[in-house]
Amino acid sequence: MTRYIGRRILAAIPVLLLASLLVFVLVRQFGADPARTRCQQSRDLKCLARTRVQLGLDRPLPVQYVDFMGDFVQGDWGTSERTDQSVAESIGIALGETAQLAFWGVAFSSVVAISVGVYSANKAYSPGDYFFTGLAFAGIAMPTFWFGLICINYLTFHLKELLNTNEVIFFSIPNATGHGAINGFRELALPVLVLSVQLVAGWSRYQRSSMLDELDSDYIRTARSKGLTRRRVVWKHGLRNSLGALVTVIAIDAGALFGGLIVTERVFSRPGMGTLFLNALGNGDSAVLIPWMIVTGVFIIIFNLFADILYGVLDPRVRVA
Amino acid sequence: MKVSSGVSSFFCLVLGLALLGGAWVSTTAGASARGQSTPGTLKIAAEQEPSCMDWIGSCAGSSWGIWAAGIETLPQALTVTPAGDYTPSSVLAGEPILEIGPPQKITYNINAAAVWSDNTPITSTDFEYTWKQITTGKDIYDKTGYEDIASIDTTDPKAAVVTFSEPFSGWRDLFGGFSFILPSHLLEGKNRAKIMKDGYSFSGGPWKLAGGKSGWKKTKSITLVPNQNYWGDKPLIGTVIFQFITESASEIQAVKSGQVSSAYPQPQIGALDQLSENPELKYEVSFGSVFEAFWLNAKAFPMDSLAVRKSLIYATDRQAIVDEIVKPSVNEGRVLQSFIVPTFPQYYEPAFSIYGTSANLSKVNELMTADGWKKGSDEIWAKNGRKAEFDVQTTAGNEARELTEQLWQSQLAQAGFKVTIKNPSADVLFGINGPKGRFSAALYAQVGTPDPSLCGIFCSANIPTKKNGFVGNNWTRLTSAAIDTPWTAVDSELDRTARTVSVKEGQNALAAEAVSIPLYQKPNIFVWNTAQIGGPLQDNPTLGPFFNLNLWYLK
Repeated sequence: MTRYIGRRILAAIPVLLLASLLVFVLVRQFGADPARTRCQQSRDLKCLARTRVQLGLDRPLPVQYVDFMGDFVQGDWGTSERTDQSVAESIGIALGETAQLAFWGVAFSSVVAISVGVYSANKAYSPGDYFFTGLAFAGIAMPTFWFGLICINYLTFHLKELLNTNEVIFFSIPNATGHGAINGFRELALPVLVLSVQLVAGWSRYQRSSMLDELDSDYIRTARSKGLTRRRVVWKHGLRNSLGALVTVIAIDAGALFGGLIVTERVFSRPGMGTLFLNALGNGDSAVLIPWMIVTGVFIIIFNLFADILYGVLDPRVRVA
Repeated sequence: MKVSSGVSSFFCLVLGLALLGGAWVSTTAGASARGQSTPGTLKIAAEQEPSCMDWIGSCAGSSWGIWAAGIETLPQALTVTPAGDYTPSSVLAGEPILEIGPPQKITYNINAAAVWSDNTPITSTDFEYTWKQITTGKDIYDKTGYEDIASIDTTDPKAAVVTFSEPFSGWRDLFGGFSFILPSHLLEGKNRAKIMKDGYSFSGGPWKLAGGKSGWKKTKSITLVPNQNYWGDKPLIGTVIFQFITESASEIQAVKSGQVSSAYPQPQIGALDQLSENPELKYEVSFGSVFEAFWLNAKAFPMDSLAVRKSLIYATDRQAIVDEIVKPSVNEGRVLQSFIVPTFPQYYEPAFSIYGTSANLSKVNELMTADGWKKGSDEIWAKNGRKAEFDVQTTAGNEARELTEQLWQSQLAQAGFKVTIKNPSADVLFGINGPKGRFSAALYAQVGTPDPSLCGIFCSANIPTKKNGFVGNNWTRLTSAAIDTPWTAVDSELDRTARTVSVKEGQNALAAEAVSIPLYQKPNIFVWNTAQIGGPLQDNPTLGPFFNLNLWYLK
């Protein structure tokens, strides 16, 4: 297993280099001019020419890329073209915010999705199964932005009115004066709920389908014929074997969440990776965009690797020696 | 029930991580609140975060930065009233004294009580330091006017005598408007940009950043506390937090549910209905200094023809655009008839009213035919084998602008023009296509200032070219002596009456040359919770609604 992980990590290096090269060339060639972005708010006539030289934009693109990667691997990620803030620091802060939301979203969604999936498979084609199936389709089809605003409207203002309280129960924005675990729960409840709707919808369908396959297997029939209760067969034998596919999907989705929470973070004003990306894109800030894309790529590769390992742990048949 | 070890391990892992995460949530949330006093705290939504707080630096062009932190913490010689007039701030002992000269001289008499937060008096040396930083510093936002200053006499610490090398009519914007006076005793000989860019501990205004740099939590909030040494009206609130909420719809919900007490959101359809659901909220709709217009590139075919430019204005039903775009969000709106907004009535001349506000297709036919154009079988004007077709660009993703483009496209189609919508991202439009002239028509906003100069965006000297490195803001690329003459005069005329005459002549020249198409002033919504805050609350189109935050109080 250790050799396998080592091989996968080594294989990831050229993938990352290729991805970084593509990102660098595309952003530099077709994105906004970094010097112009820096001088956009300046009325200093010499700003543009001076900044071009300062940033090394007067040199050939391959030289710029080699310089950039040289600095990048040494931890010097440069500064934002708009805020002059350290890009590494900005990404570090944003990553912390996104990780918090992604963690809770994945933890909550995986528990709910597994429970719903197992129930639906166990009671296939029952009214309960149809109910959850309908909810899943609604969840997949529902635009996150719209659902977020609906949740905010009803679970902040209207809930406060209903309970006749002075303060909202759940916050739709980070509470700048709050502290403690309860405040943390009140801050995260709505974004986690909104994030989870689509995750649960998709994952519960995976789990249902996977569980149905297991329940139709010969070994389940054997276990039942030997006198084991259905409950025990489902939870002891069926669930473990059905988890492999879902865990892989969860791990891959979790990796993508590090760059994909744009809408949720925007609606709930959370300064995570999605917000950072959106701001950098809007400002034409390639100094942030390029490292952001590389970091997101790294996370996707890491979580893919993690998915493979977990799959092996859950199903010894596919475990690599 | 005995659960298999793999499954139980998985659930244990989730539970363990959840507990770990619980501690994580409580740690980070706690850290964000440390050092804040909850009693007497006012929370305000801020739609944008400033790029930096080095207010004279090139990174400091954000209006929200000036509104939320600049005017609260640093002194200005002249400030701008809600009516758009310059008035002496509390730093001055009275009106500045203007000597027309030559040489032009301004004497700023400084209030004897004016001090920095460390009790050091504000002196003429601070004026001199600010001037030198702006003229000699690197990456300065705007040196206009400061470079025309020959010297500042600091003999009297309480009187700064500014002498100009050339007449500069916009002098009221110096050390005021969007500029501030900096503390020389704290910054002289040091790296100003480095000290200020992430926030600063000093203050010369009613407020200061809580804990200096730590008062600005990047991506989250700006926290202000009273400057105890402020000599004017001291703040009545213990702590003010400007919390960054960049999504307008979320901002509306935050103020509606009482999570913030005030906001200044971008209007959007249904916003007023949302706000009306909470009877404790009061809002004021005002039309500020930002205006939208279709900007025409006079170097691009067919906009290189005056007749075509005039026809385009006649073909545009500007009233319909206002009715579709502005009125649904704020229930009111009017067509803008100049490139100076009526917010500054002393200079506003409704020059474009000669074109009316609705489409006039007979006038289009008359102008186009006289210019040698003929309609083809496809009902599109053509001349010398070229059709009257062009592209229009705006910032992709901006719904109101995209809808405006579609309305325009449909209006112009009826008048015989074929318009193609090609929307790039904001950075491409403003960073490449605009300066390099890679557009025929573009839809975007400009910000009007109390100083009426428009030379920057209309004089031929400010056309960006390859030769000047594409520097300059006249993206219309129209070279016209009729425009240059009055607007150049506006920049050098010191007599207020004569200057006003030139400003009005200049606006009429812009209309006569059909340089572009003004559409409407963008409305602002200033909303506050009457159950939570009181005071003289009103919008200031230039300095924002928080310009008198020190007079607000909590209920």
